[in-house]
This record gives sequence, C-alpha cells and structure tokens, in this order.
Amino acid sequence: MRIAKYPFAVFSAALFSVMLITPITSLSNLLWLSSADMPVSLISFLKVILFDFQRLGIALYGVIIVGFSIAFSVAGLIDRFTKLGGKYLYAIAGAAAVGMALFLMVELLFQTQLLGGNRTILGKLLHIAGGFFGGYFFYFLISSERNYTFIIRFLGILYAYLLLGLVLEWIFTPIEASANFGFIFNDLSSNAQNALLRDFTSFFVASFLFSIFGVITLNHIWFFSVGIIYIGAGIFNLIAIYVHGTGFNQIFIFEFILGTWPMLLGLSIYFKTKKS
Amino acid sequence: MKLKFFISIIFFSITIQSSYKFETVLTNLDDAWSFEFLTEDKILFTEMPGKLKITSLKDKSTTEIKNVPSVQYASQGGLSEVVLDPNFENNNVIYLSYSAKDENNKSTLFLLSAELRNNTLINNKVIFQAKAPRRAPAHLGAKIAFLDDNTILLTSGDGYDHREKAQTLDNHFGKIIRINKDGSIPADNPFVDKTNALPEIYSYGHRNMQGLIVTKSGDIYEHEHGPRGGDEMNLIEPALNYGWPAITYGIDYSGAIISPFTKKDGMEQPLLQWTPSIAPSDMIFYEGDIYPELKNSFLVTALVSKDVKKVVFDGLENNQESLFSELNSRLRNIQSSPSGLIYLLTDGPNGKLIKVLPKDL
Repeated sequence: MRIAKYPFAVFSAALFSVMLITPITSLSNLLWLSSADMPVSLISFLKVILFDFQRLGIALYGVIIVGFSIAFSVAGLIDRFTKLGGKYLYAIAGAAAVGMALFLMVELLFQTQLLGGNRTILGKLLHIAGGFFGGYFFYFLISSERNYTFIIRFLGILYAYLLLGLVLEWIFTPIEASANFGFIFNDLSSNAQNALLRDFTSFFVASFLFSIFGVITLNHIWFFSVGIIYIGAGIFNLIAIYVHGTGFNQIFIFEFILGTWPMLLGLSIYFKTKKS
Repeated sequence: MKLKFFISIIFFSITIQSSYKFETVLTNLDDAWSFEFLTEDKILFTEMPGKLKITSLKDKSTTEIKNVPSVQYASQGGLSEVVLDPNFENNNVIYLSYSAKDENNKSTLFLLSAELRNNTLINNKVIFQAKAPRRAPAHLGAKIAFLDDNTILLTSGDGYDHREKAQTLDNHFGKIIRINKDGSIPADNPFVDKTNALPEIYSYGHRNMQGLIVTKSGDIYEHEHGPRGGDEMNLIEPALNYGWPAITYGIDYSGAIISPFTKKDGMEQPLLQWTPSIAPSDMIFYEGDIYPELKNSFLVTALVSKDVKKVVFDGLENNQESLFSELNSRLRNIQSSPSGLIYLLTDGPNGKLIKVLPKDL
C-alpha cells in the first residue's frame, strides 16, 4: 500500500489541478461572450463550467499526469539528496510541470494556443498557479500514510468523473446526446421522444449518483448497483446483437469496463469489511 | 418480394459504386493547394512551399514559373490559391494568395496580382495585405473569387489564436474582403463610411474559410472549417455577421466549449452545418453536362471525411450525397475543366491530380 500511495497521489494531485485549471478557459470564454453582449445565464454558465471540467479536463488530465510524474520524481530526488525538501519544492515542481506542458503544447501544435484561457499573461499565471497548488496537494498526500479508503475513494471519484460527461450531455443537450446513440430525434413520435429523454437521462444520472454515494459512504451496495446497471447493459447489448439481430457495435466493451470497475470496488469493500 | 427487394438493393449498390472511374493524371505533387485550367490539357497549380507550375496533362511536362513571391511555408501557410483574371485571355493576369512575414516579422495573408508571360511572373504587385498579424500562419482562409463587377473577394481566416477578433471590424481576422483588381477599395463596400471599421471588409464573423464561389446568378457561397464540429456553408451577403465565435455548432479541439450559443439575432445561421466535422477544403458549383446527375449541385471536397459532398438546396432544406469516397484520400481541391470534366487534387506531400470519368465515357 505504501508503494501505491505515490501513483495515487500523482493521479489525485493531477485531478485537483485539472479542477483548478479548466475553469480558467471556461471563464475566459464566458467573459468574452458577456462582453460581446451574448446572453450568458446561470444555466449556460454551469453548462460551460461543468462540460469543460469533464471534456477539456480529461484531455488535460493525461497531460498533467505525465508532467507531474516527471516533475515530482525529480523533486523527490532533490528532496532525498539535498536539504531543499518540503511542500514548496513539490509545489514549484507542479508549477513547472504545468508551465512546461503549456509551453510544449504551443510549440508542438502549430504554434497556436490550444487552451483559450492561456492566451493572456494572467491566464498563463493562473494555469501555473493551478500546477503549484497541485504540487502542494501532492506533498500533502504523500506526507502522511494514505490508507485503503483513500484509494477506493479516489478510484470512485475518477469513475464518477468519467461518467460526468454522459450525465452532462443528457442533462444539457439531450437531443445531441441521443444522436450519439443513433437516434434520429425528429423521426420519433412525441411519446417516444419523451421516453427516450427521461429514461436515458435517469439512467446516467442515477448511475453517476450511485457512484458518488459509494464514494461518500464506502458502502459496497452503491458500487454493486452501478456495476449491475452497466454489466447488464453489456449483456443485453450482446443479446440484442446476437439474438435480436441488431447491428454489431463495440459499445459493449465500454459497458463491461464501466460495470466491472465499480463491481471490483464493491467487492473490495465487501471483503475488506467482512475481514475486519 | 423480399428477395426482389434485396436484389434491387444489391444492384443499386453496385450501380452506385461503379458510377465513376478514376484516372491519376499527376503524381508526386508537393503539398499542392489549388489549380486552374489554362486549357483543357494544361493546368496552372500551386504548391505550398512556394512553387507555381504549369503542367501539360497530355505529355505530363511541367514548367516551374519564375519570379513567384517568397512565402512562409509553415503550419497551414504557404503559397495557397491561384486564380485567373476573368479577362486572362487578353491580359494574362493571375492572382496568388499566400502567407508571408509582414514588416513586424509576423505572419499574415497577402494577395498578389501579376502577369504570366513566358513562364515568368512580371509586374508583380501586392494588392492586399491583411491586417491580421499572427505568430504562426494558421487559419489563413486564402480563397479568391470574382464578383460580376470584376471586384475580388478574398477570405481571411481568424488566425486561430485571434478568433474573438472575427467579431470586430478593426482588423481582417475572420473576414471576407472585397477589393478592386488594383487593390483599391470599391466605393460601395458595406463599411466604407463606418468609423473604426476597415473599408475592405465585406462580411465578418467567419473562421477558416476554404471554399468561396460566385454563381452565375451572382450569389456568393462560402464554407468554413468549424473547430470540432460546426463546419458551415453560408450564403454571403454584404455587411452581415456570420457569428463566429459568439455562436457555433462546434466545440474547441481541446474539448472546451467556445460558446454555448448557436443562434442570436443579428448573426446569420449557416445554410448547413456539418457535425462531426468533414473539414471542407474547396467547392465548385457544377454546371457541366458530362455528369448529368451532378448538374447544378455544389461539390464540396473534404479532408476528414475523404470524399466529395454533393449538396443540393431545396429551399431551406439540403440534400447531401457522399461521392468518390472509394479514393480514400484527403481531398484538397476540385475543379471542372473547360469541357466539364471533374478533377480532384489530393492533400499533402506526394499529392495526386485525379480525373473523374463517368463509367460509360
């Protein structure tokens, strides 16, 4: 478990930094839209912030994990062999990692700014500050012994974070979301449209909430519930393909992954509880 | 009955798949971007690194044109569009759009007129330099078309990093430009009398426009790359705002929402939008007789979907059909020869020029 705490601390710190960084681009876009007399409301504000946290965040998450892994390894070596250790060393390493990632993203991608919020000096400083606090958080996580519940909670939050994209699509843009599932919305009767929107939205919102409840309570039942939903979706997907003759699709692979993940978390909690 | 139905579907599919045959007429083109027919068998084409060439399609002999302007070949920039003056037969004038560094060492879009004589450009004159300086030559637009009154339209893209400037009139980011052939400004341009507006601007609120045509009836059609999704085809009218980036059907490459809005009063809706993106790269309105099924339809080449979209408008509705996808190539440019044969240019290094023939020709 002690060995595991470092990668989990990197993953957690990266997610923390993503949480701080993605609103910079969101707010930058929203501020400009407001200045251009666009009717930015609370709903559109929430939509942008939450969607960006999930969609932009996932892209950034991978980049920051790589950056943090390198930066914290170097900081760890400095910490070990010099007297320059401490929380600020890791915070500076986090800031340097994000700063370097942003620099390379521009230089390697046609010399253009991929992140809207990184076009101004203030934006750049805020991004780097996000990395700084991520590094600080990393130090906080490794400075005390992380236990079993931390890892389970982290994996549960990461799972919920991945589901968040689907949840947001079905809440804010259900017609586009249904198109992603192959529905031609306007071809459906109004009753069918209603059933599609309410049932699919409920399906994704419920599974998202179950996973959040699992993270909060660490009760295996919540994770089992989510697991059953998605493994069930995978099984019935295969039945639809091979028994009912619908077109082949590979979505069942993701359904089994989305089902197995919480199932394993639930089983882990169940056996741990039973043992203790 | 069922059997008949399936046989008819199979027969129909075969018919569709074998409607055209393809003949590669040129190979090893180095990032070719556009071409024009000088005669049925002779084309003038650009290569992004800065080469302008004439090739005979009969014997494949190629001649490189001399005195071509220096270009900045990087990212999406280089020597882009070549078009012939409507009076080319008499004056031998051509127009070239390209990216180059400005006096402040920033990249921007240029439009040059020159006479093509004895395989050399003479009387070169920069007739337009976009007030759209950027760090790298991205999203230049660079498409050229002529209006019936002999004025020139030029698309000037949003520069990627400067998208918000597409909504203001004090720059050339995300604008369609209209100038006279000598570079002067037509007196009836829509913003000539507006303070703080550049007088060359014809329409605004555009992104990266790589399709621009004027039909015989004088209508201007344009298409532009969206970000992730939201590629658009628009009917252009002077002074109108086409909305980018305040309204869009796409999201940013990073996944971020550029704008949660798709409509606003005072901003034009596209005639059609493609989500997911097809990356439209060029367009013609086909009026020839060689392919009757394509007559009076827009043919839009696409880089991502690797096909040509046949687009026919029926009022506000549009019908689309995917053509030539069997080539499985990123298509950069499309032209109809004087006789009406369609030629396609593929994208990137080792590009090809492909002649499309009806199966029965």
